[in-house]
Amino acid sequence: MKKRLSIVIGSGGILCASSLGLIKALQSEGIQPSMAVGCSGGSLYASIIALGIDSEIAQSLTIDLYKNDVVEGYTSNLRAAMTGETRFTESSGLVDDKVMLERLSIAFGEKTFKDTIMPLYIVATEFYSGEAKVISSGKIVDATRASSAIPMVFPPVKIGEHLFVDGAVSNPLPIDVAIREGSDLIIAMGFELPIRKRMNSYAAVTSHLNSLYMNNILKSSFAFYNAASHAEIISILPTFDRQIGGFDHHQLPYIIEQGEKATAEHISYIKKLLDN
Amino acid sequence: METTITPGKIDVIAVSGAIDALTAAELIAIFHKHIHDGHPDVIADFSQVEFMSSAGLRAILASVKEARSVGGDFRMANPSAGIDKVLKMAGFHNIVKIYPSVQEALASFGS
Repeated sequence: MKKRLSIVIGSGGILCASSLGLIKALQSEGIQPSMAVGCSGGSLYASIIALGIDSEIAQSLTIDLYKNDVVEGYTSNLRAAMTGETRFTESSGLVDDKVMLERLSIAFGEKTFKDTIMPLYIVATEFYSGEAKVISSGKIVDATRASSAIPMVFPPVKIGEHLFVDGAVSNPLPIDVAIREGSDLIIAMGFELPIRKRMNSYAAVTSHLNSLYMNNILKSSFAFYNAASHAEIISILPTFDRQIGGFDHHQLPYIIEQGEKATAEHISYIKKLLDN
Repeated sequence: METTITPGKIDVIAVSGAIDALTAAELIAIFHKHIHDGHPDVIADFSQVEFMSSAGLRAILASVKEARSVGGDFRMANPSAGIDKVLKMAGFHNIVKIYPSVQEALASFGS
């Protein structure tokens, strides 16, 4: 029986574009995944894979999505929120999500989970309970927007009865979803958020501490899924020898190359596992 | 996957190739046999391990448990940067003693 191969792409912002290199490396060996799972920035690329979007188009979508006008107004809105000048509730964000939604709509339009060529699962976090929820129906724009709702930065997203925030808050590398959906072999591509060395603002310190929280959640859940499940998980953790900022889309070729390189190192073993 | 045993005050078992679903059971059997053959302390030299899946992580855990159950310890030496990244991500440095070289792993048993 043919083995079911899943790709799980974790949170990591623009670094998640490494998964385009992963897919390139797999396709060059004729390996086709049968399921895609994504969280946060990884949800965009899981969707791209599941919809069969061409790599060139995916790269131009990435460049559009990681332009800094997506977070325009952040600094002034942060100041206003901190002084109480503007009211801030659980539905608020420091950035208007209009530009992000426009860019996501260019990528995914009116596509739904029914339009994918393989099952697609996107993880977001239920705002009030903190539980990870799997979204597998409805519009892909809504699911990716919910999964990528960076805490405090973008407003949480209401889908049905639930208010959703970034999937990375609860499950940054959702290997468990692929296990539960019956994968035989799971390729998990994960990223630790970059840690700052120097901080000189409230926002920088907050961002740094958020990165620490999320990295620790990532490590804890990664350890649990690897050690306490029967699944065969292949971890692909690309390394970057240079600093890559959140909007460094000019680094895209390098990011993709590192994903391809990290995958190529494992490809002969992946083939062997699929064939046996 | 292949193993080579270098006997000494503490035996060193060098592992090469892949530790995955196809090889993990064999590796666990080798480690367990060695531990129960009167060598409760073991150093696993990982310098030639090229690939390790979650089955490899579970094989390490099983071997650590086995060695400690008979009063010994299973320590690791010299994993490659890629393998070490997976070990660190999974928190293995917190529960298994991992050294940058076989010499340091050997010295650790004397301290």
